[in-house]
Amino acid sequence: MNAQNAPKVTKETKNSIRVEFERTSLRERLRIKYLSPSFLVSAVWWLFRFILLVGLAYIVLLPFFSKIAGSFMSPEDFIDVSVKYIPKYPTLHQYKAILTENNYWLAFINTLTLSLAAAFIQTFVCAFIGYGFAKFKFKGSGLLFLLVILTMIIPHQTLRLSLFMKFRYFDIFGIFNLLGGGISDGLKILPFTSLELTNSFWPIVLMSLSGLAYKNGLYIFMMRQFYRGVPDELEESAYLDGCNTMMTYFRIILPLSVPMMVTIFLFAFCWQWTDSFYTEVFFPSMNITMMPDIVKVPKSIDTAFAAGDLYESAIKNTCGLTIIVPLIFIYLFGQRFLVQGIERSGIVG
Amino acid sequence: MNSEAKLQKAPSTKNVAIRKKKKASSLDARKARAGWLFVLPFIIGFVIIYAPIVYDSLIYSFAKINVVAGGGFTLTWVGLSNYQEALFVDVSFVQTLVTGIKQLVFDIPAIVIFSLFMAVILNEKMIGRAAFRAIFFIPVILSTGLIDKIDQDNQMLSYMENTGSVDLGDGGASQTTQIITSLDIQNLFKDMAIGTELLTYVVGIVNDIYNVVNRSGVQLLIFLAALQSISPAIYESCAIDGATQWEIFWKVTLPMISPMILVNTVYTIIDSFTSASNTVMSYIEKTYESSTVLSSSMAWMYFILVMVIIAAVGGIISAFTFYQRQER
Repeated sequence: MNAQNAPKVTKETKNSIRVEFERTSLRERLRIKYLSPSFLVSAVWWLFRFILLVGLAYIVLLPFFSKIAGSFMSPEDFIDVSVKYIPKYPTLHQYKAILTENNYWLAFINTLTLSLAAAFIQTFVCAFIGYGFAKFKFKGSGLLFLLVILTMIIPHQTLRLSLFMKFRYFDIFGIFNLLGGGISDGLKILPFTSLELTNSFWPIVLMSLSGLAYKNGLYIFMMRQFYRGVPDELEESAYLDGCNTMMTYFRIILPLSVPMMVTIFLFAFCWQWTDSFYTEVFFPSMNITMMPDIVKVPKSIDTAFAAGDLYESAIKNTCGLTIIVPLIFIYLFGQRFLVQGIERSGIVG
Repeated sequence: MNSEAKLQKAPSTKNVAIRKKKKASSLDARKARAGWLFVLPFIIGFVIIYAPIVYDSLIYSFAKINVVAGGGFTLTWVGLSNYQEALFVDVSFVQTLVTGIKQLVFDIPAIVIFSLFMAVILNEKMIGRAAFRAIFFIPVILSTGLIDKIDQDNQMLSYMENTGSVDLGDGGASQTTQIITSLDIQNLFKDMAIGTELLTYVVGIVNDIYNVVNRSGVQLLIFLAALQSISPAIYESCAIDGATQWEIFWKVTLPMISPMILVNTVYTIIDSFTSASNTVMSYIEKTYESSTVLSSSMAWMYFILVMVIIAAVGGIISAFTFYQRQER
């Protein structure tokens, strides 16, 4: 640095000095900063990225916008071709009809009960099993984990018939059949040959209890990866203090894994809530009104006019909207857990 | 020595009982027993529920079912006739299967590459990153199962969209609703030696962008997590050595996340089973209404085919997969 550019120091008062140095002029600085090729490149990239992301976000969100817009439309809006998104004659009668005629609240309560129960059971059972796989090495643990992966890979859709048959005629290795059907004539211990568990919550509860329900393999995998990240020293110190494995798990490990369990709970709840497959398989006689049963056109609404098809599909969309309203709230508040859960689960690590 | 003796006395009565039978059981043995206890729910469920279900499903696909009035049912073994019926009698099953598999094979690279691309973009620091991440994850929660099913015959969307914009996977892709036509891409690729197959493929993906975005939520997050786990020190040393961003991506980022490409590919294939846009699965479900055993054999054929694809794709990808460290 040469002498001309050296900062000028003047003493202002007793305790303060003023340092003046020649700064490059503002114009010059701006020119250097904003007219350089590297800035240009990054600005173009920023713009491109922003437009891309907004466009893709639009694609994701558009169906929801269109559903919401359609849910407020009255029949007149469907006939009027000038109406695209914003209804000219907004009305709430679609919602009213669905809530009053389609047994919405009944379906809501039933689905809520089932989803809460299933999610609770699955969360705890999968955490339990995941801990067993993460922290204990025993003969066959590798093979057993392979079986977990297998249950994850075989989709239940391919097992549809036997899933139904298993719970329609529930039996454990033919024991019920043997006891009920009579070992010899007249000697019947049970009054039935098989239990009919369909049309009740039992199939889903039983499958949740054994970690076999929808995507439970994934939950077990996530919990296992999570527990593998928990240092062994924690348990060792608990053992030294006289805890056995169960006490250690429930007193020390379980409280530690709450964030991960919240993630799994939210996943299990949301996926059970919007499920239609298990509901169709396990509730064939529709005696329990579940969410899929309310997706229909209410009787009081007449769709027999020119744009009736469109109206019908709008009504079905409104049904879908009423179903996912609770999930939207859950997503708004639990989004952090869901997004971070996958990242933290260490599927990666 | 002394303290050890004290420790030996400490355990509860239950442990004492065990020791009487087997003498002192080692810590390893006890831990193994605890491990069995923890995974017991799964074992019981697997033995009582899952294994019989899979076994039954296989048997059903080789049998005819007669429901007995008093409860219960009988099976008659019919050999391969269900499979024969599915393959040779049913008019559209083979066709559906072939198009479904083709669709699956085409979808995999689209979804995996798209989610990798988005993850790389979202990994950069910028305003609203968390918001974008949340938006792209919405379909995972809100567009599954029932909603997916409703969306399949959703005329509302195509109606609102028919002024000329994105085709939202509603099946009725008319010329006006396409975001780009093959002509546009043809013009773009005019002078390159690219076959028409690739052309139609790219056009297909662009027009199917709604499905691709909708189905890549989880994959996106997995890639994001993988990207964040790469040590910044590697990037720094690359930058010091004068590598460009482009080189860094191909030489560092891609090898480092290649295990996750494998995971995401397998996840995508398995996930496609349960999506309502899966034509083969919906065909099988339609068959289920009329003939349950037939649908069972169809499902098995489809499943085995997909397993073969997973094995093939997995084998190919794992040949190029780079593992930085050994399994813990």
